[in-house]
Amino acid sequence: MPNWFKLSKALLVAGGLMTSVAHAEETVIWWDFLSGGDGVRMKQLISDFNAAHQGKIKIDATTLEWGTPFYSKVQTSVAVGEAPDIMTYHASRIPLGVKQGVLQEITPDDWKAMGLSQSDYDAATWDAITIDGKQYAVPLDTHPIVLYYNKDLLKKAGALGDDGRPKGMASREGFTATLRALKEAGVKYPLGSVTADGNFMFRTIYSFMGQQGGELMTDGEFLAGDNAKKLENALTVLAEWTKEGLQSTYTDYPATVALFTSGEAAMMINGVWEVPTMTDLHKNGKLFEWGAVELPVIFDKPATYADSHTFAIPANKGKDMTPEKRAAVLEVVSWISKNSLFWATAGHIPAYGPVTQSAEYKAMEPNATYSSLTANMIFDPKTPLAGIAGPIFDVMSNFFVPTLNGEMEPSKAVEEIKAGLEDL
Amino acid sequence: MLRNRRKEALFAGLLVAPFVAIYGLVFVYPTIKLFMISFTDAPLIGEGSYVGLENYTRLASDRRFATAVWNTGYFVLLTVVPGTLVAFAIALGVNRLAGRLQAAVLALFFLPYILPVSVVYLIWDWTLNFQFGIAMHLFDLFGIPRVPVFKSSAWFMPAVGLITIWWTAGFSILLFLAGLRTIPAEIYEAAALDNSSRWATFRRITWPLMWPVTALVLTIQLILQLKIFDQVYLFSTGGRPNDNLVLVYYVFQRAFQSDQGGRAAAVAVVLFVIVMVVSVLNFQLTRLSGGRTR
Repeated sequence: MPNWFKLSKALLVAGGLMTSVAHAEETVIWWDFLSGGDGVRMKQLISDFNAAHQGKIKIDATTLEWGTPFYSKVQTSVAVGEAPDIMTYHASRIPLGVKQGVLQEITPDDWKAMGLSQSDYDAATWDAITIDGKQYAVPLDTHPIVLYYNKDLLKKAGALGDDGRPKGMASREGFTATLRALKEAGVKYPLGSVTADGNFMFRTIYSFMGQQGGELMTDGEFLAGDNAKKLENALTVLAEWTKEGLQSTYTDYPATVALFTSGEAAMMINGVWEVPTMTDLHKNGKLFEWGAVELPVIFDKPATYADSHTFAIPANKGKDMTPEKRAAVLEVVSWISKNSLFWATAGHIPAYGPVTQSAEYKAMEPNATYSSLTANMIFDPKTPLAGIAGPIFDVMSNFFVPTLNGEMEPSKAVEEIKAGLEDL
Repeated sequence: MLRNRRKEALFAGLLVAPFVAIYGLVFVYPTIKLFMISFTDAPLIGEGSYVGLENYTRLASDRRFATAVWNTGYFVLLTVVPGTLVAFAIALGVNRLAGRLQAAVLALFFLPYILPVSVVYLIWDWTLNFQFGIAMHLFDLFGIPRVPVFKSSAWFMPAVGLITIWWTAGFSILLFLAGLRTIPAEIYEAAALDNSSRWATFRRITWPLMWPVTALVLTIQLILQLKIFDQVYLFSTGGRPNDNLVLVYYVFQRAFQSDQGGRAAAVAVVLFVIVMVVSVLNFQLTRLSGGRTR
């Protein structure tokens, strides 16, 4: 008998201890879709956060499949109240997310609690997270596409300027001349392009449209006025490079990166998220001298397509967050934003202004070289139809592959795209 | 012996109850719900308001739906009969082998069937990738220009059809082999005594006796290929998904990419009806034609 008594008493004490510990430490459930070189860096940030908040907050992170699988899972889990406490979200998907009722508003009180405010962010970035005057996410970064180049090959072809950048970046003629010079110097593919993946090419083509001041959607109308012509111009440039043999054809994403890193392609248009790939290869002595710059100005003015990784709080149905939990979530977002200098090593441009204005960031290469493009960024049109793996993305990209590989005339593609968009 | 009818019925009911309950929960209820949703403008999750037959009537002028129907039909044409014949031929060959050798050869043919679709995709992508595919190096060797197999709409369906036959033939071969083994050796002996030619033996004995199995394989293949999704989804990622659309893929696009549960449900209902009609027709036709040859 006394044994029983002792045992139950011990159990009670132990149980009490455990609940008090659990109460003191808030566990924040985290979902992201970062599985590349940037995912490794995010894991590092998370473990740094956990170390700095030992006994108070702990992030329990899971990485899910990028794109449609991630967003479908978020939507279904929100509906049954099983969504995480915090998740990464593409700014381009926010209009759709708000329509689906998946996202919670980030209130002015929340911003105050995080110690972040509008003045810390670029105007375009802030606008991308704002719907009807309310904010639905906290931007972590912007991730535009850039032009990667092989300095050794460019030098051989006499196409490297004295400033260490490719020549002919200011005009269509200039850039085509650079590509031709590379071809003449015996480079197999002057430009490595993801020509087998229309989803990817959306970014380049939308940038070229932006360089002509074009819009995809004007007051709810697709490709209104001369915007169709501007899309056609953008497609024509790329189709001509294919015709002249200046860019790789039917090349999918991994193949493009492989063509560039193996020296078969001298330049490549790709997202900044490939910066860690290059940095790591170069560090191990497996890569030539390389650089990354803002896209060439093919038309009237510089413009680059960008999207933004943000943090969003799911609107879990039938499950309210405790104030303690919300405070913990806000602390996570705030801490990671303020420590996002490390995130810049993943190539992304941190959204938090004080980080990009710091001396350390300005000394980072190649980030500092291409970060000038922040002033020329264009985001997706703000509609529930836009965004990563969204319907617009889908319809347009379908016609990019045949056009870029010389199977379809650009004018025909524009016609088809317009019809396809109107079917939505 | 006296039997208590009522007690027996109760007992029977009790035994099938778990199945009926689960069947109702995961099949009957969702199916009824699907029909109901197809008359609303519901998003992927949540309720929508009643829109009548609008989701159906707009399919008539929906170009992507037309592509999907066409491609699904084309794919069925490319795979069902050719796949069945190939499997039959292989089974006839394997049946002539004996002992360990037969088991080994059968295993080789069956191996692709146990692969998950994602592995099938990777193997064939490595083989036929335009830039790095092994087959492309062979093309270069013989001076044939490279073909962007999965990126051109002319090559896509035939290629996916071929891969599907390669992938799923193993199962059909097993069915055929089991069928071939049930044909008594005596019949063949009798035919040999009558000096029947090999072709006549096949035509008069093997083919008619195998007809029930052939009909079964055809029906299984037909239903399976009408529901094709995985291969098309994987092989067309990033390329030209809208040109390579099949019906299930279109359901997926509407539901998960465009967030239009109602319209997706309408397409699903159409597919449901097509599968029902076609498989009943197929069953009746194969039964009738089987009766005539016998």
